[in-house]
Amino acid sequence: MNTPNTAQTEGPSGFPQAATLEFRGATKRYPGADRAAVDQLSLTVAAGEICVLVGPSGCGKTTAMRMVNRMIDITEGDILLDGHSVKERDPAELRREIGYAIQQIGLFPHLSVADNIGTVPKLLGRDKAWIRRRAGELLELVGLDAELAGRYPAQLSGGQRQRIGVARAIAANPPLLLMDEPFGAIDPINRERLQNEFLRLQAEIRKTIVFVTHDIDEAIKMGDRIAVMREGGHLVQYATPAELLTAPADAFVEDFVGPDRGLKRLALQPVGDAPLAPPSDGQVLTVRDDDVLRTALSKMLLAGTDSAAVADGDDTVVGTLTIAAIEQVLRGS
Amino acid sequence: MNALMLGQVVIHHRTSTCESRNGFCPSWIVDHFSEYLSPLLRHLELTVVAVVVGFAVAFGLGLLAHRRRWLIAPITGITGVLFTIPSLALFAVLITSPLGFGFVTGVIPLIIYTLQIIFRNVVAGLAGVPEEARDAARGMGMTARQLLWRVEVPLALPEIIAGVRIATVTTVALATLAFYAGAGGLGQQIETDIAFKSNIVLAGGLAVLLAFALDLLLLGTERAITPWRRSGA
Repeated sequence: MNTPNTAQTEGPSGFPQAATLEFRGATKRYPGADRAAVDQLSLTVAAGEICVLVGPSGCGKTTAMRMVNRMIDITEGDILLDGHSVKERDPAELRREIGYAIQQIGLFPHLSVADNIGTVPKLLGRDKAWIRRRAGELLELVGLDAELAGRYPAQLSGGQRQRIGVARAIAANPPLLLMDEPFGAIDPINRERLQNEFLRLQAEIRKTIVFVTHDIDEAIKMGDRIAVMREGGHLVQYATPAELLTAPADAFVEDFVGPDRGLKRLALQPVGDAPLAPPSDGQVLTVRDDDVLRTALSKMLLAGTDSAAVADGDDTVVGTLTIAAIEQVLRGS
Repeated sequence: MNALMLGQVVIHHRTSTCESRNGFCPSWIVDHFSEYLSPLLRHLELTVVAVVVGFAVAFGLGLLAHRRRWLIAPITGITGVLFTIPSLALFAVLITSPLGFGFVTGVIPLIIYTLQIIFRNVVAGLAGVPEEARDAARGMGMTARQLLWRVEVPLALPEIIAGVRIATVTTVALATLAFYAGAGGLGQQIETDIAFKSNIVLAGGLAVLLAFALDLLLLGTERAITPWRRSGA
């Protein structure tokens, strides 16, 4: 089978392409089960976007993700990668074109870091020199010392292993990346750091990513779009984080995003993007235009004022933020 | 059989006082050491052939049972029953078969006795491979064959080699009986003058040393081919 032009056409440092992914009525039904694990899932992930599948355990989010690279077979419907059905592909070849990172990471204990990273390139026939060079680049890309290349997984910290799991997943420059709770086993402080690092990395490599988590805050932080699923494999809402928080589709989503969804919504938006009034004199409080609205609101409440001057990076006052403007953002206008 | 055995017996000449007292005689051992080299070599041959063939069979069965889990119980059962057959009885049966006396007859029971130990360790080693490593391997596009040879077998090696070590040491001990089947070995030397202490110490000691040396060799091999285990943090 031919390697489609979505993968592997660039040199080791190029991250050119991302694929469009479309679930088209994708359904998984296990024999003997009274309801589907994934029921008629239809959604499209645009190239270069992070789609987060989120929901309580048993909602089918991991099953949905694993159907993409055919780790789980599709019962009905289809999944299209750049318009081509994954069902028509040889599973092993398909998987080599799709990055794969799981919560337990699954580094091979008997292989060095470099050989772990080189797993898929080796399957694709890359030679040793290429793999060594690529491993060095990727270690740098995920913020690790190139010296780690010769170590074994047992000699690494949890955070290092996780980064190498990501490096391994992108080693062959796949146009699509599947990530199943990749930061799930990491303590909260390091998780936050890894999330930020990963977002920076994604800004650079621009892959299409399907990201599974049960944590709505992680979903809001990582997702360009979020697919909220519930028991029975139903997709309840597929929307941007802001839309999800501003206008939950039903009581389930509203409950799932939490009672503080207003504040979560404000945390997504910098002051500079809010509808500002012109600069006015006599403001007792100044907030920065790159503060998020939640921070600005908190400062205003603490200062006992319903308006604040907004300053940019050069300390020039560019406008006035009012409580009314914040309310406007929350109402979604 | 008895007559034939007696025909091979060579009574050592006991001239010095130590020997006539049937003590432990270092000088006698030094003088007669060279007579034991050829039986030692034969003993090594019996052991190596038995373990190599036994490993090939048990490893093959182990891979088969790894894919088809339902085979584990019957194979464990059959190799277990084989393991319980008294070795002397097995030699006796084989001697009366068309194989008659000789190396092959001596080595077959030894092969049979290695199967159970090696098979069990192969199966346990393969089953002990972390599920997440297996999932990652499949998820990255390894075929079943690549998963087996690049991930499962390497990770099962410590357990597999542990089985081979036990099988090897056991075989060295059992091979001292192979002379009943006319296969020679150090057992032959022991039998030659079973009442003479120096002979027993020398022949028995060589068997012990052989077992020890082979075990060390396998341990060294394991260390060499599993470098990741030495570096654990």
